[in-house]
Amino acid sequence: MRTRKLTSLALFATLALAIYSAESLLPPIVPIPGIKLGLANIITLLVLHLYDVKSAATVLLARVLLSALLFGQAMSLLYSLCGGLLCFIAMALCCRLLHRHYPELTSIVGGIFHNIGQLLAALLLTAVPGVLVYLPYLLLGGAVTGLFTGLCARFALRRLRWHRPPS
Amino acid sequence: MNTLSKRACLLACGIAVLLAGCALYLFFQKRAAHSPEAAYTACIYQDGQILRSISLDQVSETYRFTVEAADGGYNIVEVSPGAIAIVEADCPDRLCVLQGRITDSLLPITCLPHRLVIELKPGDHVSDAPDAVAY
Repeated sequence: MRTRKLTSLALFATLALAIYSAESLLPPIVPIPGIKLGLANIITLLVLHLYDVKSAATVLLARVLLSALLFGQAMSLLYSLCGGLLCFIAMALCCRLLHRHYPELTSIVGGIFHNIGQLLAALLLTAVPGVLVYLPYLLLGGAVTGLFTGLCARFALRRLRWHRPPS
Repeated sequence: MNTLSKRACLLACGIAVLLAGCALYLFFQKRAAHSPEAAYTACIYQDGQILRSISLDQVSETYRFTVEAADGGYNIVEVSPGAIAIVEADCPDRLCVLQGRITDSLLPITCLPHRLVIELKPGDHVSDAPDAVAY
């Protein structure tokens, strides 16, 4: 069973990396820093719902480290790391609270917290309190993109339920 | 209704209230910021330090200048009567250029990779800022 899980998680990490690099080729949707679809989060959501928090954290960490090595952008890494960490903690709590039944809600919460984390990083780095006016835009944007990735995760989960290891 | 769907409902309601609050705030802020007569001063910050402040209604013709970032990158700022924009940059995503020219205090232009922020403040003079060029 362990080998099977390891293989599946490695596959998920590869998928996440592929989705991440494909998304980085798309032009930004709106000209507001911090708003993007975050499609790679679909994989984090899937692993969180199919396995457990530890596995999801491993897959996420593998994806972040590999993408930093492959397309390293030191500055944006700091922003996305700050957002990603807050997003992951919020999603893990939310997923447990909702007994893995509502991936779209979990994803919306994750999207909102991701953008809060990013804004905090921006506030620390630029040290201009004026960047706080982005907050309402980022909250709305996070919820919309979160809903989208959450729905993607729900449709994928419908096909993947058989995959859940017997516990 | 069982506990689980009650929880989900509560969470969804909480999120909905938060988002409605954001939308309302944006709506009213947009109305308040829409006063074409107002004069604005553009403040250009880098790493939290104010680099320049330009009173936009005293600008009579368009000019450009370059702001150099700590990592060797650059942003070219274009100042025109009543408006300011970043027209060229070598940051990875060029979101600062995409934000176009701003004419009101609604949203600042930010270039996160170069830690550059351009903010418009109402009034034709910002007291706490040095008027001289700081580089």
